[in-house]
Parts: sequence; C-alpha cells; structure tokens
Amino acid sequence: MSIRESTAASVRRVAIFASTTARPTTERERERRRIAIMCLPFFALATVAGFVPLAMLVRMSVAADAIWIEGWSLDAWRTLLTEPTYRRVAWNTVWFVGLATVVSVVLGVAVAHALEKYDLPFERVVVAAVSFPIALPGIIVAILVIAMLGRQGLVTNAIAAVTGTSAIDLASATAITGLFLGYVYSLVPRATMVLRGTYAEVNTQAEEAARSLGASRWETFYHVTLPEIRPGIAAATILTFRSGLAIFGTVLLLQSHYVVTLQIQREISVGTYRPDVAAAIGLVYVVFIVAFTFVGLRFVRTDTVTL
Amino acid sequence: MSDDSEPQRRSRSGVGVEPNSRTDGGSVETTVEAWTPSRPALSTRVGRPLVLGIVTLVVLVLSVPVVVTFVSSFAETATGILPRGFVTFEHWRDVLGLGDDQMAVIPGLAFSLVIATGGMILNVVIGVPIAYALTRYEFYARDWLNTLAIVPLVPGVVLGLAFVQTYPNHGRSALGLIAGYCLLKSPYMVLTVQSSFQSMDLVRLEESARSLGASWPRTFLTVIVPHAKRGILAGCIITWTLAAAEFNFTFMVVSGSPDPFAVFLYRNTSNATYMQQAAAVSVYFLLVVSAIAVLQLIGNRGFTTIRDQ
Repeated sequence: MSIRESTAASVRRVAIFASTTARPTTERERERRRIAIMCLPFFALATVAGFVPLAMLVRMSVAADAIWIEGWSLDAWRTLLTEPTYRRVAWNTVWFVGLATVVSVVLGVAVAHALEKYDLPFERVVVAAVSFPIALPGIIVAILVIAMLGRQGLVTNAIAAVTGTSAIDLASATAITGLFLGYVYSLVPRATMVLRGTYAEVNTQAEEAARSLGASRWETFYHVTLPEIRPGIAAATILTFRSGLAIFGTVLLLQSHYVVTLQIQREISVGTYRPDVAAAIGLVYVVFIVAFTFVGLRFVRTDTVTL
Repeated sequence: MSDDSEPQRRSRSGVGVEPNSRTDGGSVETTVEAWTPSRPALSTRVGRPLVLGIVTLVVLVLSVPVVVTFVSSFAETATGILPRGFVTFEHWRDVLGLGDDQMAVIPGLAFSLVIATGGMILNVVIGVPIAYALTRYEFYARDWLNTLAIVPLVPGVVLGLAFVQTYPNHGRSALGLIAGYCLLKSPYMVLTVQSSFQSMDLVRLEESARSLGASWPRTFLTVIVPHAKRGILAGCIITWTLAAAEFNFTFMVVSGSPDPFAVFLYRNTSNATYMQQAAAVSVYFLLVVSAIAVLQLIGNRGFTTIRDQ
C-alpha cells in the first residue's frame, strides 16, 4: 500500500468514526457519543484557557518582538542557555524546593503515623491544625511568617527579651530561613494529607504479627510499615515537590531567594522587561513539571494524588 | 506505655520468697523465681517520645501563627512581645469598611467572592460530566485524560503570563479570571465528585432508570447527579474557598480596581498596620473555618478531597 492510499484510509476511518459518533446507530456508538459529550465541556475550557495560552507562550518565546508578537528569533532561548543567572535560578529552585519537600514528607510521615497508631489526646485539634493551612494562599503564609519572625514578630521579640539582643538583628523573616519555614508551612499539610490516606490502608495484622514475633517497634516500622507506605511516600513527594515549585506569593513578599516563579515575575517587571525570556522560562518550567509528574506517576497509583 | 510498666510492677512484688499462710493452719514456702523483664527496646523508649515531640512541634508551628494573628487583630498595640490592649474592634471596623480608613477589605473580597462563585458554577458544568465519564466508562486514553483532569499541570504564574498575552482584551477582565480559576481549581472538583461516583453502583442505577423509561439525559440529570450531591457540594466549597484567595494567577493577570482579595493584601503589606493586616487575614480565616465546618457536616474529612469511608 502506498503512503497516499494508507493516508486516505486513515482519513476515511477517522471520518467514519466521527460520523458514527455524531449519528450513532448501535448502542456502542451511542455510548461513544455520550463519552464525547461528557468530556466536551472540559476540553472546551482546557483548550481556551490552557492549550491556546500555552501555544501562545511557545510563539512568544521565539518572537523577535515579544510585545507585538512579530518576527522570529531564538534570542530568548540563547539568553536562557548562555547566561549563568538562569542556571543559578534553576539550581536555587531545585535544591531549595527539594530540601523543603524532604523535610515536609518526613514530618508528614511522623504526623500521619502518630494520628493512625497512637491514642492522641486532642486528635481532632491535631487534624484541624494540620489541614487548615492547605487553604491558605502563599501570600497569607508570608504574612504569618512576618508576624512570627519579622522585626516586630512574636518569636523575634520573645528571643530578644530572653537573650537581650536587639530584635532587628534577630529578625529572620526575610532571611532564607524564614522563607524555608514558609515553604514547609505550606507543604507539610499537603504531605500529611496524602500520607494519612495511605496509613488508613496499612495492614495492621502484619504489624501485630511482627511485634508478637519479637520485632522491636523500630524493626516493625522499618521492615513492615515502611514498605507498605512507600507508594504513599512517593505520591506525597511528587505532590509536595510540585506544590513547592508553584509557590509564588510567599517568595514574592519575602524576596530572599531567587526561585523560578520570582524570576518569571522579574522578567516582566519594569526595568528588566523581557517577556520572551519569561515565556521561555515558563515553558521549561511547565515541561519539567509535566515530565516529573508523568515519570513519578508511573510508580504510584494516580488516584493517590489528592489535594 | 501501660504495657511496659505492667510487668515491671508484677516482678517487683514477686521477687524473693513469700510465706503464704494456709487456711488449715500449716504454712508453705513458695519460691517465686525473680522475673526481670528485658529492658524495653531503644525504639520504644526513644521512638514514641520523639514522634510525639515532632507532632507537637508541627502542630504548634502550624497553629500558633494563625491563633496569634487572629487574637492580635483584637489588640490595640503589638509593640512588645505579646499584643496588648484587649478588646478593641477598631481594626475590624477598618477592615470591614465601617471606619474611614484605606484598609477596607470588603470591596476586594466581594469582588473575589463573586468571581470565585462564577468559577465554581463553571466548574460544576465542566467537572461533573467528565468525572462521570471517567468513572463510568472504559475508553481509549482514559488514563491519560484522568491524569489531565485531576493533576493541575500548569502553575498559576505561567498560566497568568500566557493568558494576558493570548487574550489582551478579555484576559484581565472578570471573565478571564473566572476561566482561569475554573481551570486551575477543576482538579479538586473532579476528584471529589469522582470519589462520590465511585461509592455508587452507577451501572445498576443507570439501568434501573433506563428500564423504567427515562431517557439517557434525564437519567443523568435527575438520577445520577442528585445522588452525587454531597460530592458536588464538597467540590463547590473547596474550589470556591481556594479561588477566593487565589494569588499567583490573579497577580499576573489583574490590573485594575477593585483589587481581588489576595492582591489587595499584597499591595497593603507596607502601608497597613500589623493589627489591620491581622484583621484582614482573619476575615479569610473565618471563611475557611466555616468552609471546613460545612465540609465536615456533609461528611468530608475536613479540607480535603479524601472522604471518610
């Protein structure tokens, strides 16, 4: 079969498929039409609000005039590849968010473990305290960090009163430690939420068997519980890392570490206006997140990735 | 802890020789072997206190800032370690627009809530059908579509940047914000509604309705959707609350008045007093607390897409 014939056959097959979906005669075709109708609203929105803007981002990154979107040029990509600033921003982002993710997931495992296995006295309070910050946007987290660690902050002033040093020297809200605390503040609740779902499905009989056969609590956790919650840990790590990469409000207000979101904002600010570079960074960022998510999801069940 | 202390107590009373008097006057000497339990393992002595310490620390770090902020919104001054001068409603009056201050948060919050409501309604329209299709039917590329629908793949900052360039006229309007919020928050709606559908026997429900003569659209609208009303309601509350304080996308897109709530907070970080800001943030805290209360009322496990079994 020549290429032309095979193309024609493919086109015909697609046309038949489309026409039977539009005017179904069998039950199977009717079902296909139902699926198409049900998915259509989502696709319409995803196209208008998602795919088209992303395509525009690609066009922007290769435009000679990025304001009127005219001409072609690879200037933005060349800048991105050659200037060491951008490599530094990428490295800044990865190590900072990676560290925050590791800390958050470890803390999340501890909290989920305690909630599931121990008889905590104020369990509802703990659950409320751990789930409440999920609803807080980054900007409010930054305000809370300033309220605690800023120059007038509660913690700063308390330490200053105890040690007798000046509160201005102690203030760490706009230092990198304050930002790190802000990241962990946003990420711990998300990690805990995923891990609680995993812990609820752990087989307690296997743990009891291990304990009665003489394993210590640590051995039981390491050899029995940990292998069971490993998918949950993987899912929590993916979700937490992704959420950490997307944090913007916190870092915009505290301004202490150049991560990718802040760099995008800088590229479209007055004085450093380079929308084509901003678009290129945005594309690298999206491609990285999509690749990371899909590679990660190969190792875990999709439906464990929740809020 | 009780399982460790119990054997120790028994062994202490059982050590040595205990003379036992018999009822018939004689006496026997019972020799009880001294039984000393092995010391509890290191992980028992260290592990649990360590985990409890971590949990206490996490809970304190997560809750103290929120509580302190809420409390100090009623204080007169915050110079010094603890806020002083309780109770004043001055800052709440400023924030709620009853005073004559610039810090009135209500116009921005109302604008945000209207837009969040628009996004929520649009989310019901697009989220419920696709959640049904993904749960009920098996079809080509279902898994890919599922991932696309429940994993937010484009971050708000990048979407905002692209949005403004693609739709220079409408991107910055309320309509643009509604479309953006809807897409950014749609995973939460799809997930909650999906988990609601998963707990129902969809095929049987649909077949009963169809065999009783209902058409397929009527089955979906009057039988399937009402059955999932709790999931839909939970999804509405979550998407609405999250959209009300969305910042990343809003900041990149918005340019005009009134400023949406989160952008308003950002612009006023330098010119508002700490207590005014505390009051403004507390307004949102109250919103989230009521959202969580309603969610728990309809059987959700708090602010999450996971449902209690």
